[in-house]
Amino acid sequence: MPVNSQSPPVAKPFSLIAEITHRCPLHCLYCSNPLELQRGEEELSTGDWKRVFEQAAQLGILHLHLTGGEPLARKDLAELISTARAAGLYVNMITSGVGLSEERLAALVDAGLEHLQLSFQDLDETTANHIAGTRAHALKLALIPILKKFPLAFTVNLVVHRMNLDRLEAFIALAEDLAPDRLEIAHVQYYGWALKNRSLLMPTQEQVDRSLPIIEAAKERLKGKIHLEAVFPDYFGSFPKACVGGWGRQMMLIDPVGQAMPCHAAAVIPDLHFDNVRDHDLSWIWQSSPAFNRFRGDSWMSDTCLACPRKERDFGGCRCQAFLLTGDAEAIDPVCQYSPDHELLKLLRVPSENPLPMWRG
Amino acid sequence: MDLNATPRLAAGCRLHPTEAVMLIPEGTLKLQGPARDILAHLDGKHSVAAIVDELLKQYEGVDRDDIQQDVLSLLDRMEQRGVVRV
Repeated sequence: MPVNSQSPPVAKPFSLIAEITHRCPLHCLYCSNPLELQRGEEELSTGDWKRVFEQAAQLGILHLHLTGGEPLARKDLAELISTARAAGLYVNMITSGVGLSEERLAALVDAGLEHLQLSFQDLDETTANHIAGTRAHALKLALIPILKKFPLAFTVNLVVHRMNLDRLEAFIALAEDLAPDRLEIAHVQYYGWALKNRSLLMPTQEQVDRSLPIIEAAKERLKGKIHLEAVFPDYFGSFPKACVGGWGRQMMLIDPVGQAMPCHAAAVIPDLHFDNVRDHDLSWIWQSSPAFNRFRGDSWMSDTCLACPRKERDFGGCRCQAFLLTGDAEAIDPVCQYSPDHELLKLLRVPSENPLPMWRG
Repeated sequence: MDLNATPRLAAGCRLHPTEAVMLIPEGTLKLQGPARDILAHLDGKHSVAAIVDELLKQYEGVDRDDIQQDVLSLLDRMEQRGVVRV
C-alpha cells in the first residue's frame, strides 16, 4: 500500500545486510538462504555496491553486514569495505573463513573491516564437516590465531539443533577456548534450505529444556570476558519474536542481484515485488516501495493482534513464518499462543524418525 | 578500575563521529549525558586521573569527586560489557 500524507514518518533503518554473493564453499544443512540461489554472473557490480553503501550511510544506516554465501568469493571485497567505511558505516563480515589467508585478512582490516563473525557447526570435526557439507572445521580453527593478530573484534557463532544440542556444554567450552569478543548461540531458523531439513534438525523439548540453564550459567561465568547472546528456538515459544525488529522498521537486506527486501526470507511470500537498487535509490525503496510498506504498522493485522498490547513489542511476529506454516502471510504468527494454528507447532516439535539429511547441489 | 589505569576502547568498538552512540559489534549503545565526552578521551595512554583532569577543564565549575565517580562508574560498566579494556 502506498505511503500517504497521513502515514506517520518512517523511522530510519539501522542496519543493511548485503548478501554480496550466494556463492559458498559450504553446503550447511541449516542454510537459511533461498532454495534457488542467485547466479554469480547476475551479481551486482562493484560500482553498484559502492553506490548502495554510500546511499545507505546517507539514509542513516549505521551497520553494514557483509554476508552471502561467502563474501570472500568476491574479489572486490577490500574495495567494497573501503568504500563502506569511508561513507561512515560500521563494517561487519559474516564468513566461513574458508580461503581467508593472513595476507587477505590484512588487506580487509586495512580497508576498514571492524568485526568478523565465524560460525561453528559442531565441536567435533567429523560431525561439523558433515553438517557443513564440506571439510571446513579445521580451517576455521586454524583461522583463530590469525584473527588475533589484528585489531578486529570477532564473534563465534554456535549453530545448534537436535544433532549437537546434547553437547552444548562442551561446545561452549570450545568457544571459550577460542576467546572471542562475543559468543552467539543460535538455534536454527527454519527458512530457505533449512526448512527441507526441519525434521532432522528440530530439537526435542527435553533438549531445549536442558539447554536453557546451561546458557544462563555460561552467561554468568563469562560476564566481563565474553558477551554472550542466545537466540531462543522459535518453535518452542509462546509468543513470536520481533522478527527483523519489525517489518520495514530497522533493517534492509539486498540480495546478490540487487533486490531490496525487508527480510532474508521475504521472497517466499507470494505477490511481493522487490524493487532493485539498479533502478531506485535506497531512500525511495525504504520510504515508498510497496514491499517495505506491505506489513508496516498494524493495518494488516488480525483483530486479535490489533487488540493485543504485545504488538508494540513483537510487531506481529514473523510474516514469512506465518505464510510458510499457514499459507497466509497475514495470519497470526503460529508461534503465538493466541494463534488458531499454534497446535501445529506442537506437532512439528515432535521429531520424526530417522529423517535423511539433504545437502544442496 | 582504578585512577592509574589507562583504558582504551576494545577492538571493534568506536564512537559514532557525530551522534551520542557507541558502535559495537552487532549493535549500538546509546550514550547519555557526559558519556560520549568521557569515552572520547580513551586512548590507552592517558590514565583515568588524567582524563578526569581534562573533563574538569571541559565542564567548568563541576565538583572533581562527582566527575571522578561518573567516570569510574561508566568505565566499569563499559568494561563489563566488553567495550572498554584496560
